[in-house]
Amino acid sequence: MNPKLLFLIPLLPLLGAAVNILVGMRLRPLWRGGIAVVSVALSFALACLAWPLSAGEGTRTLLATWLASGGLRADFGILFDPLAASMTLMVTGVSTLIHLYAVGYMEQEQDTARFFALLNLFVFSMLCIVLADNLLLLFLGWEGVGFCSYGLIGFWYARLDNARAGQKAFLVTRVGDVFLAVALLWLFTATGHLGIPEINAAAPSLAPAAVTAIVLLLLAGASGKSAQLPLMTWLPDAMAGPTPVSALIHAATMVTAGVYLLCRLFPLVSLSPTGLAAITLVGGLTAFYAATCAVAQREIKKVLAYSTMSQIGYMFIAVGAGSVSGAMFHLLTHAFFKALLFMGAGCVIHLCGEENDIHRMGGVKKKSPFVFWMFLAGALCLAGMPLSGGFFSKDGILLACFSHDDGIHRLVWLLGLVSAFLTSFYTFRLLYLVFAGEARQRTHPHRLSPLMRWTLPPLALLGLFGGLLNLPPAWGGNEMLKHLLAVANEWTADVPHGTEYALAVMAAGLFLLGLLAAWGRYRSYPGDQPNGIKRFLLAGWQADTGIEWTLLKPFRALAIFFGLGLDQTVIEGGLRLLADGAHRQGELLRRSVTGRVTTYVHGFAWGLLALLLWFLLETVR
Amino acid sequence: MIVPLEHVLIVAGLMFCLGLACVLTRRSLIMILIGVEVMINAVGLALVGASAFWRQADGQLVVVLLMALTSAEVSISLAMVVYLNRRKGTIDADAYDGMKG
Repeated sequence: MNPKLLFLIPLLPLLGAAVNILVGMRLRPLWRGGIAVVSVALSFALACLAWPLSAGEGTRTLLATWLASGGLRADFGILFDPLAASMTLMVTGVSTLIHLYAVGYMEQEQDTARFFALLNLFVFSMLCIVLADNLLLLFLGWEGVGFCSYGLIGFWYARLDNARAGQKAFLVTRVGDVFLAVALLWLFTATGHLGIPEINAAAPSLAPAAVTAIVLLLLAGASGKSAQLPLMTWLPDAMAGPTPVSALIHAATMVTAGVYLLCRLFPLVSLSPTGLAAITLVGGLTAFYAATCAVAQREIKKVLAYSTMSQIGYMFIAVGAGSVSGAMFHLLTHAFFKALLFMGAGCVIHLCGEENDIHRMGGVKKKSPFVFWMFLAGALCLAGMPLSGGFFSKDGILLACFSHDDGIHRLVWLLGLVSAFLTSFYTFRLLYLVFAGEARQRTHPHRLSPLMRWTLPPLALLGLFGGLLNLPPAWGGNEMLKHLLAVANEWTADVPHGTEYALAVMAAGLFLLGLLAAWGRYRSYPGDQPNGIKRFLLAGWQADTGIEWTLLKPFRALAIFFGLGLDQTVIEGGLRLLADGAHRQGELLRRSVTGRVTTYVHGFAWGLLALLLWFLLETVR
Repeated sequence: MIVPLEHVLIVAGLMFCLGLACVLTRRSLIMILIGVEVMINAVGLALVGASAFWRQADGQLVVVLLMALTSAEVSISLAMVVYLNRRKGTIDADAYDGMKG
């Protein structure tokens, strides 16, 4: 297979987007979605066909040179190594299913051409991130997903809240992007390269302090995209977009970009123990923070949003613990079951007549047992039921974290355990509130299109049996993904099988404990009893208010001071004073221009006299 | 030369100043033109005087040229005065202020 064909993988979705942008509104609605689905499905097929190219060191291929000036050289180049290949397969595969689902979900909508164009563009941008062989192209995709998320979260822009949520996502992730851009420029000046393999190769020659600083900057950039502390406030609000968009953002594309970036540059990242510790800590705190928030959420999609944040936190823990394969493993299984959960949530919302509040749902199992079983599959993976995909991936991460013998990792490991319990609890809370008992509100269910139903089972299977991808030796597997990725500097958890089993039993115990707690509290609807703690958690620990008071208000005050106080009064006032003076001077001079010959001749005569006097004085002297 | 050059120059200077005063103070276009003529004649007188003093013909030649120039200028100026008079019905120089800033 010609390596150049790899470029078709990102370009096909771009083509689909172009068609929808240019002529989408003239096509029939079914065609718009069809084009989007086919373009992504074709790139999935291509990614499957191209799999052999990723063997060993992978394939690096070049389409054209994008920028070349002095030492700067950025290509439209693809690096198709095992890491990129597995990620590409996941992105295109899950995206295909989400696109199919979206065709069903959006069948009642009007301007779907914009929707599908943005959806395709989203996949294209993500593939740019995944496949780029240099950081500049990666950054292009990085900004691309930011833009597409802005467009898609604010898709129903007629409502101000939605448009605001889009803006918030755009701006908050942009904060992280600034850090990433600084890291990128620093890497370029320090190593003279932009290519990812070159940078990874040159990393050991950098000063340790510089590496630490760069890793921290990268972490800040990744935090923005992956909604980690402290740049996480945009993700719950991002639920304002259509459900397929949430599925796409949370499962296949945007939020995983941060994890992927850290994995991609792992040979560099692994050189800084401080950086690794920071990554672990950020991940652990986010996992815990988001899990507590998810416990109190009322909107079905916000529960899932916080759980995504929490799960991405686990991936960060894995990267920080040095286990790239663990992070990628969790990323893959999470993509499957989170896409499933979001799409299931979309079905639930449709069945309840656009109702989002789980306290007003109930009894959905009776309405559609099929959706219940599918959602249950996803929920079991999320909660970490033993032997499901989510169980193995989460367990691997906790094991890797536990095997480090220092304070920070032990602390994060504990946070991870608590979060695991909370995850199990809020997942079953969600299940009980939504599916159990009787419907608490009379609603008019919308029709579920077959496309929405039949995209769920493949994801359920992938989620439940995703563990086979990277089954640890203790369970009779051979860690396929780990051998496939073969990342340099990868941390190997060197613990006896006994400890491994003990940890697994502990994880299973936490899963059961969460299940029992949720069963005890929610097996029959306990009523809606808001209290102070719940309100605090519902508002995400008041993070928005906190940011409003600590950052935005002082900033706004400063802006008003500089804008109104300094710029408009002092600077503009001074300039206006000068201009007025000049103008008045001009008005005075203007009077001398009378247009009369006599005045001019007088001036001439007086000038002559002055000149003569001057000459006279000069001769006398 | 029977008249000393100083006397000629003094008379020429006086004439020039008188002409200039006429140009500056009078408002009638014709009087201004006459003032200009007087100034030109003062210059001509100075040239002739100097030419006689240094016994060089150049100054007198220039005066002949000056006379030709003056006659041409006078004819054009008078034509313009007639034209301006026809436009505004007056030959007051202050009435023509169309180039005011």
